[in-house]
Amino acid sequence: MDKLLQFGRSMLQPLLAILVGLAAGAIAIVIVGGSVMDTYAEMWKGAFGSFYFFTNTLSRATPIILIGLGVALAFRAGFFNMGSEGQMVLGALSAALTAIYLPGPGWFKLVAAIMAGIISGGIWSAFAGWLDAKYKMNLLITTLLLNYIATLFAGYIVSYPLKDRSGSAAMAQTVMIDKSVWLPKLFHGMSVHGGFIIAAVSAVLLFFFMKFTVKGYEIRMLGGNPLFASYGGVQRGKMMLLSMFVSGGFAGLAGSVEVLGTQYRYIDSALTSPGYAWSGIMATLLAGSHPLGTAVAAILLAALQTGGMGMERNTDVPLEVSSIIQAVLILFVSAKLSYSFLKRKKARS
Amino acid sequence: MDQIFDVSLFASTLRMITPILLAALGGAICARVGLFNVGLEGLVLIGAFSAIVGNHFTGNVFLAVLFAVFCSLLFSILFGYMSIQLKANVIVVGIALNFLALGLTTFSLRAVFNVKGAYYNKDMVGLPKWDIPVLKDIPWLGDVLSGHSPLVYLSLVLVVLLQLFLFKTVTGFRLLAAGENPTAAKSLGIKVTRIQYGAVLMCGVLCGLAGAQLSLGNVTMFTEGMTSGRGFIALVATMLGQSNPLGVAASSLLFGFMDALSIRLQGFALPTHFTMMLPYIVTIAAMLFFKDKGYMQEARKSNESSR
Amino acid sequence: MLLQMNSITKSYGNVTANSNVNFTLQKGEIHALVGENGAGKTTLMRILYGMESPTSGEIVLNGKPVTFENPTDAIRHQIGMVHQHFMLFPTFTISENIVIGREPSKGIGFDRKTAAMETEQLGKQFGMPIDPWKKVADCSLGMQQRVEILKVLHQGAEIIILDEPTGVLTPLEVKELLIAIKTLASQGKSFILISHKLQEIMDVADRITVLRDGKVTGTVFSKDTNAEQLSRLMVGRDLIHISRNATEVGQAVLDLEGISVRGSKTKPLLSDVNLHVNEGEIVGIAGISGNGQSELIQAISGLLKPDEGMIKLLGQDVTGAPVGAIRQIGLAHIPEDRYQWGVAKDATVTENGLMGHTGKHQKYGVLGGQGIRQMVSEWVERFGIKTGSLSTKAQYLSGGNLQKLIVARELAQKTPFLIAAEPTRGVDVGAMEIIHGELLKKRDEGGAILLISSELTEILKLSDRILVMFEGMIVGELNAAEATEEHISLLMAGGRAVG
Repeated sequence: MDKLLQFGRSMLQPLLAILVGLAAGAIAIVIVGGSVMDTYAEMWKGAFGSFYFFTNTLSRATPIILIGLGVALAFRAGFFNMGSEGQMVLGALSAALTAIYLPGPGWFKLVAAIMAGIISGGIWSAFAGWLDAKYKMNLLITTLLLNYIATLFAGYIVSYPLKDRSGSAAMAQTVMIDKSVWLPKLFHGMSVHGGFIIAAVSAVLLFFFMKFTVKGYEIRMLGGNPLFASYGGVQRGKMMLLSMFVSGGFAGLAGSVEVLGTQYRYIDSALTSPGYAWSGIMATLLAGSHPLGTAVAAILLAALQTGGMGMERNTDVPLEVSSIIQAVLILFVSAKLSYSFLKRKKARS
Repeated sequence: MDQIFDVSLFASTLRMITPILLAALGGAICARVGLFNVGLEGLVLIGAFSAIVGNHFTGNVFLAVLFAVFCSLLFSILFGYMSIQLKANVIVVGIALNFLALGLTTFSLRAVFNVKGAYYNKDMVGLPKWDIPVLKDIPWLGDVLSGHSPLVYLSLVLVVLLQLFLFKTVTGFRLLAAGENPTAAKSLGIKVTRIQYGAVLMCGVLCGLAGAQLSLGNVTMFTEGMTSGRGFIALVATMLGQSNPLGVAASSLLFGFMDALSIRLQGFALPTHFTMMLPYIVTIAAMLFFKDKGYMQEARKSNESSR
Repeated sequence: MLLQMNSITKSYGNVTANSNVNFTLQKGEIHALVGENGAGKTTLMRILYGMESPTSGEIVLNGKPVTFENPTDAIRHQIGMVHQHFMLFPTFTISENIVIGREPSKGIGFDRKTAAMETEQLGKQFGMPIDPWKKVADCSLGMQQRVEILKVLHQGAEIIILDEPTGVLTPLEVKELLIAIKTLASQGKSFILISHKLQEIMDVADRITVLRDGKVTGTVFSKDTNAEQLSRLMVGRDLIHISRNATEVGQAVLDLEGISVRGSKTKPLLSDVNLHVNEGEIVGIAGISGNGQSELIQAISGLLKPDEGMIKLLGQDVTGAPVGAIRQIGLAHIPEDRYQWGVAKDATVTENGLMGHTGKHQKYGVLGGQGIRQMVSEWVERFGIKTGSLSTKAQYLSGGNLQKLIVARELAQKTPFLIAAEPTRGVDVGAMEIIHGELLKKRDEGGAILLISSELTEILKLSDRILVMFEGMIVGELNAAEATEEHISLLMAGGRAVG
């Protein structure tokens, strides 16, 4: 009973946040002269209205979940990894190039491509961790700046040396990946692919890792009080490299499954313009870095985005309303954090 | 090489540095009262967008700048309320505000101008260019220093004013005290919260000006997310300059120069991808020379002592 | 009567910090307020200084009832407070620290020259000379204390509250401070002195009020009382005297040879420290805090790499080895500052108890749930740790209970060697007795303990051998049997004597 009550209370906050977000969205809808009820109805249809739309939402949620998990891990360890975008882009590029240029059977190329994505995303992220551990360079800022470098670099690769010159279009992209390497679709004719299973399993695994393993415990303590962790024998530098590698690895994995399951090639800015990375970070913030919560929040954000598209198709209300809702959600959640802080302060004095 | 390092490069450096410098000064004031403002990026973006909106509706550049300042100010109040009043984690609030700024500007771009991505109108008038008498006739120097928007000159004046304010006035002294040891300042009856709000508001004004220079001075248009990391580069400039207005100006100069150089280099054989990377690479390299406080001290601060 | 506090009650929810407290102060009087930690002394003074408002009761100043909303009100009514944790700005100069809040100005400008002149004059007037342009960060703690008092005087205070003013001072500095207080009192200033050091209070105070559990248990003139009576009033019973058994001293467990740590400043933090701790003995390190004890602890436990010298634990060279490895060989460590080093505040009691014990409770890297809770709940029972449940967050535990948790955790490592740094700082007498008893028990069982404490009484009570640290050096070694408080005090203050 007690546990149920506790669960109810922990659900109350996110629900309240969603309500406030929707209220803000309603104001935006009224501003552009739409009908609130109709618009939200269209939004719901766009996200969950049919099996097709539902799977579409899940497909969009896939990279967001994976990125969110990586960021959640880093946040738990006390590191503000803001570099998911660059890590994802490098992961996607490496996965695409591996899938295209590595010889061998399809399944082998698929596994190798995913591994390559994880490793390159991880290394790019661990590089920022190394800069912090070794040279005390502020991780939040280096990861942010490394994003620009990574996306520009990937853009260069597909604009010049490895550009697809077979088609007539002047798009900056690689050639198409062979069909044998594609991640299978879960349902015929639907966009959701095997990557979603990977994401869901990862969320559960990360949850157990954080809660029930020694390393997970050490990461949590490091995030809670780094001095306490080092006093107890946790080596911060090593942990930083490790958790940043895994964190970036998740982002790289997100890029890989997106390339192997949806795009089938690396297209410049196809990953950055939908803002997967930032949605992932938002999901983490919404869920307070809880792995399972992050997955749920990611699906919610994806639903807002696909719902927004549906809304734009069928009403005059622009897609951007959903970005307002998302932003207000986050803002409200950061206020929520402080609300619990105030409670804590009260209890102490 | 002569073609690269010519007069107009230095002139455009001065122009490019202004948004970074103004935002960095705002960041420096916040840092001085103990608030690490990651939301600079969002504040500048709001300023840039509202400057265009103001210009569109009033047709008056001066009013447009005022409107930009006003909007960034409102936004900074939100930052202040959440981080000072609600005592939320400053970094989380900053990140959230960046999201909100991006969302709001994208939405408003659509709602106000009914366009996606970017708004440009050839009838729109940008900030005027001031020719400084006497100075403009000096060879080379005149070409570099004269003919900029008023905000460029204002930013340079503000550097000096802020330096004097912080280190020579009573109010500045109390501001430093509030940041150095808030508990002690509070025990002396210094209104720490009010000072923090004041600093955040000042930061809002400066970021509004920075945004106006970005969208009305450097170019005359707004594109979605046009700050493209300048707010974060300003944050690095704040740290490199040790939150000292003169130091901040010096480090902003470096980044502004790189910004200008990267645009200049696009005319040469190098692919634009690499020239555009330049400011970010230089910023990261510059951070090597800045000794961050390190996690030990940060952790000590956040885990209060039991003594 | 200058000041009367009548029937002051202050409660936070169910907890009553002050209950019906009456307190008076005459002009020119030094009135001491004593009691254990948590007896409500500081709360009472925070009420007087406007930092808290009382639940009920009134403050009467010069015959007129007053209410203080904030410290500014109190300062305006000529009440000043010197806090236990100094309220100074380290990067500012002495004069800036003194005049802050009422700075001399020219227009909007801060006139630093006048400020320096004013403060230098003030220092001379009250017999506390200072160098106005010196940075506070470069001053000794005694000088910082002086700056605090001058600041209060500059604010025009007639009533000065001193909260534990001697805690961090050398015996010489304490003597100077007490003289300064007496001089100022003779000039008509009135003092309220919060302290738990009975000897000092007997020396300097005119009247003494004792608090226990938020209530006044007695107000006495110091000439009519003695330390025994006061401690009975404070504790409510006679203290148990722990008896110490003589033990056989065995082999060396810890051995330090020529350990030096260079700091960023010109003076080294540790220079050429040699010491050893044997089986079955407690070696106490006495010294004013900030004389290299923290660095010594960090060097031994692996948190800080020494620049020179060698550290051996159980015969193995552990110089510069990682913390985890040293703990594996046989070190446990009660840290000097529990909130900074000892716990993660947002983590639960169980999680905090698990630190250092993960090795025993895991299989293939996965933690085994029940054994952990059982281990921690045993500690909770044995040490009488008051906590809501094992899932309560550490931050909700009181300081004493948290300290007991940490001590239990470290003793449970059952290591041959233990560092006990300030093991009873800020805990109540009951918890102190438990912790002292456990430390002595470990010694009797053959454990080697390095005790670091700035409380001389603790050092004298527990140690078999006493080393004195001053400015990063060991300046004397004494046998417990022949050590006297006076002798150690002299060494602690840097007076070099042959040990």
